[in-house]
Amino acid sequence: MLEPIKNNWRILLLVVVVLGATVALFAPQFGPQTPPGGNVSEAQQGVTNLQYGLDLAGGTRVRAPLVGYTATEVDFGGDQAPDVAEAVAAELSDTSTVEVTAVPEENAVEVTDTSVTESEFRSAMDASGYAYDDVRSGVTQETRDVAERIIQDKIDQTGLSGGTVQQVQSLTGEYFILVEVPGEDRSSVIDLLEDRGTVAIDIAYPGGNGTEIQENVLTQDDFEDLGSAAQAERGTGAYVPVTVQNTAPEGEQSPAHSFQQAVADRGFASAYNGPGDQCDYSENPDDVSNPCLLLTVDGEVVNSFGMDPDLADSMASGTWATDGGFRLTTGEFSEAERISINLRAGALPAELDISGQGTSRSISATQGENYKTYSLVTGILAVFAVAGMVFLRYREPAVALPMIVTALAEVYALLGFAALLSYPLELAVIAGFIAVVGTGVDDLVIIADEVMSEGEVNSKKVFNSRFRRAFWVIGAAAATTIIAMSPLMVLSLGDLSGFAIFTILGVLIGVLITRPAYGDILRRLLTVR
Amino acid sequence: MVAIEVPEVNYTEYTNRQLVAIPLAVLVLALAIIGGWYLVTGAPANLGLEFTGGVELRIADDGSNVEQQIETAFDREPDSVRSIPADSVYVVTFRAADEDPGGLAEDLSTQADEAGLTTTAIDQVSPSFASDTARTAIFGVALAFLGMSVLVFALFRTFVPSLAVVASAFSDLAVPVAVMNLLGIKMTLGTIAALLMIIGYSVDSDILLNNSVLRQTGEFYESVSRAMRTGVTMTLTSMAAMIVMAIVAALFGVDLLRNIGIILSVGLCADLMNTYLLNVSLLRWYKFEGVKR
Repeated sequence: MLEPIKNNWRILLLVVVVLGATVALFAPQFGPQTPPGGNVSEAQQGVTNLQYGLDLAGGTRVRAPLVGYTATEVDFGGDQAPDVAEAVAAELSDTSTVEVTAVPEENAVEVTDTSVTESEFRSAMDASGYAYDDVRSGVTQETRDVAERIIQDKIDQTGLSGGTVQQVQSLTGEYFILVEVPGEDRSSVIDLLEDRGTVAIDIAYPGGNGTEIQENVLTQDDFEDLGSAAQAERGTGAYVPVTVQNTAPEGEQSPAHSFQQAVADRGFASAYNGPGDQCDYSENPDDVSNPCLLLTVDGEVVNSFGMDPDLADSMASGTWATDGGFRLTTGEFSEAERISINLRAGALPAELDISGQGTSRSISATQGENYKTYSLVTGILAVFAVAGMVFLRYREPAVALPMIVTALAEVYALLGFAALLSYPLELAVIAGFIAVVGTGVDDLVIIADEVMSEGEVNSKKVFNSRFRRAFWVIGAAAATTIIAMSPLMVLSLGDLSGFAIFTILGVLIGVLITRPAYGDILRRLLTVR
Repeated sequence: MVAIEVPEVNYTEYTNRQLVAIPLAVLVLALAIIGGWYLVTGAPANLGLEFTGGVELRIADDGSNVEQQIETAFDREPDSVRSIPADSVYVVTFRAADEDPGGLAEDLSTQADEAGLTTTAIDQVSPSFASDTARTAIFGVALAFLGMSVLVFALFRTFVPSLAVVASAFSDLAVPVAVMNLLGIKMTLGTIAALLMIIGYSVDSDILLNNSVLRQTGEFYESVSRAMRTGVTMTLTSMAAMIVMAIVAALFGVDLLRNIGIILSVGLCADLMNTYLLNVSLLRWYKFEGVKR
């Protein structure tokens, strides 16, 4: 009973792989993940689970560095990060503290003001008195991470499915931000990246008929500095430090002073007397019991805050504005990060240099659709060419037909893999498929010739020894192809990594699954007669 | 019915010197072309957009004399305008300006819009990124070649036969690059992929030949003709696939596939010559004279 299975396990394995590929390609469970808010039919492109990349579906890819300079291995000498940043910013004319950041975790100080040159930054670092190792172009890891999160947020908010952001590193060690948005053209993606929202702080307070709102107590331009999220020194909370401008031209009230006035007028000091007093805006927005600060982005309330009794008192007494700083506190660090991103309202922490050092590729949906058809036609014709050559050479359907079927099974299995991994198909990947058909048939030719050489194959033993001999060559050839392709897989050369990945994958499937199966098929056809 | 019969070559009629002469002459010629190109243009090949920087626009041909509109639409002279009738588009390429590389893509796409042209694709590559890509690509090809050489030496563990494989692989790379220069094909990422593919593909028939001669029983000429029957079939099937791919992709204007197809066809052609002239004669020398020493 087990004997037939044991004798034909290579063919069975191929059948199993082909069935697996069919499941991966067509079963809805393996379909692309539906983005929140999207529907299934939208995420699924066509009848299969295959994902199409930029080339074949249309869309835009932008790859650009964040502009800035970073001083590495800075010795903070025990000073707090904001003080270090301020000291360095003071040495740069026309650069505010917002554009200089000290990152203690990385021992780095960066400047993101695009008008500052490398030598200006060097001399500012020298003048500030902090010892440092070197100045490199680019920004810190933290800034890149923040930028990546902000861009991802923006893409998610627009409801575009399948948009991705990642950081890539070039051979020379420079970092780039790589943004891909399917289905959008170049200008709308660049608009999206450069677009910033409007941030304001409103005050909600209990009025006669439920909640009343005093709008735009603070607006975007009123902030002098927006910090990034930090862990509280005591306890488990986290906070985002912000500083409000407390200077104004003669005769006008500074933003800090008018904010202080508004807070005092709305009775924060009398409402917040201890830890028990909380802002309840999130529970009953229409009927708050205490006054609250609301953070709004483009008019939408995104966060609400109560006030620390000490802070409320200092505002009521009019002493707070001389400093102008407060902290937006929250329970969780991740929440603080979110607030910090909201405060930036889509403004990136450093400029993305798209036109100068960036590259972009944009393909319209119709062009993508055309490419899809063309590559399919090209692939099919290439397979026909191979099939024709094989028939002309062997003139025996028993040898040639299984050869072509096996080669096609190989491509089919690869497509299954692509669906399983949700790897987006690009032109380069299609080229990889065609390359796989080429190498695949090469190896099948080696097997066929070796097995049929030196007369009749009359026993299993003869067959096996010849097959093994053929396999040495195939293994060696496969190894060279894999070695030749592997640099492409890791080097950042755009689409070509997809080409390399699928060529290597194809060679592996070929050597491990399809070519042994072809050997078995051939053995049955040749030894039975 | 037409059939492909791999011809039996009577190697005994020719001396090693005669056999080696042709592939060596071709290799020297190829290297001379590449060297000359380097001296004249400053680069070993015609570099494409990805390696020079610039902007490429695909403009839809809606039948209303687009070519003339393209000539007047832009404030700078396009470096090339190609028509692809099968896809109804014109491909317009601009090299990056030295004086002001920034904003080129925006400017050009606005100008195209203003002239009423429909842009179906825009590719923009900055010069600094392009030179980075060029370095990475050269590094990649060198690394792949080195890896292949090490593997070949490890497989055969004899100097001359391994050297024969590596030498013919080197020639397989040089000849297509020279032919590319002569045909005016630009070096792009697609051609780099094709060159790496040649390293993988072309070594197959060399390994087959070496294996047949060194590791299997039988007389030298018999082994060669056996390996040749299989090897030539292999190379011809691959070439058929690549030529078809090159022609179809050229018709449709899918440059990446076209370039890969052309380079591989030429490379495989060179491989036929190198394997069955260069490699065979080196192996024969090794088998009949080299071993005795």
